[in-house]
Amino acid sequence: MTTHTPPARTKPAGTRTAPRRPRHAHRAALATARGRTGLALVGVVVLAGLLAPLLTGHGPTDQSGLSLAAPGTPGHPLGTDDLGRDLLARLLYGIRADLGIIAAAVPLGAALGCLLALAAAAHPVLDTVVQRTFDLILAFPGLILALAVTAILGPGRLPVILVIALAEIPVFGRLLRTGILVQRGREYVTAARVGGTSGGRILTRHILPNTADPLVVQIAVSLTVAVFVEGAMSFLGVGVRPPEPTLGAVLSQSMPYLAQAPHFAAGPLVTVTALVLGLSLAAEALNREIRR
Amino acid sequence: MTTPPLLEVRGLDVEFTTPDGGTLHAVRDVSFTLRRGETLAVVGESGSGKSTTALALLRMLPGTGRISGGTVRLDGEDLATAGEDRLRAVRGARIGMVFQDPMTALNPVLTVGRHLDEVLRAHGGTDKRARRARAVELLRLVGIPDPERRLDDHPHQFSGGQRQRVLIAMALAGEPDVLLADEPTTALDATVQDQILTLLGELTRTTGTALVLITHNMGVVARSCARVLVLYGGTVVEDGPTAEVLTRPRHPYTAGLLAAVPRLSAPSGTRLTGIPGTPPDLSLPLTGCAFAARCALAEDRCHTAAPPLADAGGTVRAACFPAAERAARAALAGPDEDTEPPAAPPVPARIDRPAPGRVVLTAESLSKTYGSRRRRFTALDGVSLTLAAGETLGIVGESGSGKSTLARVLAHAHPADGGRILLDGRDVTRPGRAELHAVRRRVQMVFQDPYASLNPRMTVGEIVAEPLRAFAIGAPGERADRVAELLRLVGLDPAAADRHPRSFSGGQRQRIGIARALAPEPDVLICDEPVSALDVSVQAQIVGLLTDLQRDLGLALVFIAHDLAVVRQVSHRIAVMHDGRIVETGGADELCEHPRDPYTRALLAAAPEPVPVRRVPEAVSA
Repeated sequence: MTTHTPPARTKPAGTRTAPRRPRHAHRAALATARGRTGLALVGVVVLAGLLAPLLTGHGPTDQSGLSLAAPGTPGHPLGTDDLGRDLLARLLYGIRADLGIIAAAVPLGAALGCLLALAAAAHPVLDTVVQRTFDLILAFPGLILALAVTAILGPGRLPVILVIALAEIPVFGRLLRTGILVQRGREYVTAARVGGTSGGRILTRHILPNTADPLVVQIAVSLTVAVFVEGAMSFLGVGVRPPEPTLGAVLSQSMPYLAQAPHFAAGPLVTVTALVLGLSLAAEALNREIRR
Repeated sequence: MTTPPLLEVRGLDVEFTTPDGGTLHAVRDVSFTLRRGETLAVVGESGSGKSTTALALLRMLPGTGRISGGTVRLDGEDLATAGEDRLRAVRGARIGMVFQDPMTALNPVLTVGRHLDEVLRAHGGTDKRARRARAVELLRLVGIPDPERRLDDHPHQFSGGQRQRVLIAMALAGEPDVLLADEPTTALDATVQDQILTLLGELTRTTGTALVLITHNMGVVARSCARVLVLYGGTVVEDGPTAEVLTRPRHPYTAGLLAAVPRLSAPSGTRLTGIPGTPPDLSLPLTGCAFAARCALAEDRCHTAAPPLADAGGTVRAACFPAAERAARAALAGPDEDTEPPAAPPVPARIDRPAPGRVVLTAESLSKTYGSRRRRFTALDGVSLTLAAGETLGIVGESGSGKSTLARVLAHAHPADGGRILLDGRDVTRPGRAELHAVRRRVQMVFQDPYASLNPRMTVGEIVAEPLRAFAIGAPGERADRVAELLRLVGLDPAAADRHPRSFSGGQRQRIGIARALAPEPDVLICDEPVSALDVSVQAQIVGLLTDLQRDLGLALVFIAHDLAVVRQVSHRIAVMHDGRIVETGGADELCEHPRDPYTRALLAAAPEPVPVRRVPEAVSA
């Protein structure tokens, strides 16, 4: 892990107290106990997903004669599902599929939202157009949006990515737009303008770096939300197409057997909990450091 | 002196825990007494612990603050260890408090009547009609006209001064023995400040309430309090009768502070003497006198042992070894021998200023209106002025007079709605893109708030180099040398270039802002309240720097401030602004001594003047 506390810098005489915030505020935030726990939880889940082929000898769709085997069965440490597929393999490959979707969707939504916010900052007319577009997206409840997109595109990986990205666009867009408006009114921006600095440079050197903090926190929060959205869509059968495993799909499949085989549902539940808890802790750690 | 003290503070220590776990010792061993009906000023610069001391008396310390030692006895009862129930009974009823900012201290959704009613109910008023009658009486007491009707108005319907009056009425509702006023006039204009101080004086005389007035303004101290307590670095450095302390300060810090205060009576071109250095870092352990590092008279023992608050002649006590010894010697020599103050402030020096040259900047009937069609606010209304090379034009006005708008219009930060701006005779009112760039290179600006006007994400070097880059001055490789040169010019260590603004104090930040403004070698420098956010000792340094730079670089300066005394000393000419117009303009000394406009006269009359130290002290009246 790359987190480390920045070394205390020696201060030449004549300066005031120590800088209130260390140079790398984000690194310092993630180096707190809360941040470390969060990163560790996320790290374990991510590693499990990445190393899936090494951690299990079965493919996620390989069927054996055993169905609903109990955990601890030789060759199937977590048991098998109703169709005799190895649960560990399905869980690990499910994590892989989930992470792939989230890693594509959240940055996509964030990037699009930020681009729209920049466009909104450029001209008052564009601002109105962008703002109303955000309102339109926000007017749809998440699941209705998911069902509508799936109805048009059919189930699969792409609709899930699109739904998550679409839902994140107004979140990031509004956050950045507010940040730009606040910073633009600050005296140092006026000072830069009077100092002859060009509009583009004011945006990239002065305004954007000072609006970045809340966006970093929002990325961690949005990743959490994305885990839920993906799980919910797969659970409802509008997500990734079976037999490809995702955490939501495995959970959905386990529902009829909850009484006989509770371990069937345990894997995806524990994983989602660990992932969401880890991301939330990291987001909270970042948020606290930034608010100071 | 036979009455027992009402409030007795002994060895008060207050500590805060900093976010990174350190301890900040905000108040160290503060002791004082307050008698019934006495008026005591607690004066000090930012970080001196004056507000913390006041809040500690009522145990209302914010955040991690805690009393770590000492006692606060109110009629013999120790408030430092009292339970929360007892404290609630004391707050408001025995000790009332008035806060600094009247704009935020009242709840905007409640009427003024409700505010007063709540306080009265908390102090046991059960009859609704009686409470209302008392509320009317209180508003009348603080001088709100037509109190019966105004009772049902909301805070936004009152002016700033009237809101402060309401707050004073609320503090007086419980008929307290002590009124704590924490910078009650700092957020107010000079004319309103004058009214509020008069009111506080009258109230303490008529009701017999003791007043503790916390302020940074020596003029306010001289105007309203019989006794003064000077704080520095969380310790009491001097305690005595106001007239005595202000005319013959015993402690070098008090003397330095008084020398740094600009005086309205001093003619234009008088150099202010600042105190070199910066206040002590309270998170470090302190050995010896807090002021030793900045003191010209410091001896070896001042750095190693903390001087106790000792008799320093007359009824004044000072925490200074040399001052105490001088007093002891004087006592031996006889009562009339000790007339020499310990740290005789240097005789005010005149600044040798070259005569102003040709006119560089002219404004003709500038106008600027804010707001939409329905709610228009005229910020500038036909403002005309001229500015010559090497000349300082002071612009004075109260809040809302349009002086900041004028600065921004002149610096092309906001466009003017009407009128013309001429630079060297060329019309630059609505410049094209290229022309605007050329105008900006010649007209630069220094801002009011040294904390908000520097980008916290950039290093000082990047901030100062930015105009160089924007105007393509020098090769990229040579800019670092130019930045170092600029930093030296404003009195900073060139090593500062690698650090961020947050590691500098307010005064140092203002120097960085000046270095940035000087980077493109402008002809005109517009300073919008450059010293308003700074302490007086630092204010003197910055004002001195600006006048030196003007002399050396031949700059034309526009110096905007609300404090007439500072403006008189730095300016050749003064323009007085009121409601977006220039009501009077003239030579600095001429305008201050023979004001013609009634508004100028009101401003001059309202400016509180500390006791002039130059004159021979008259017989001290108790």
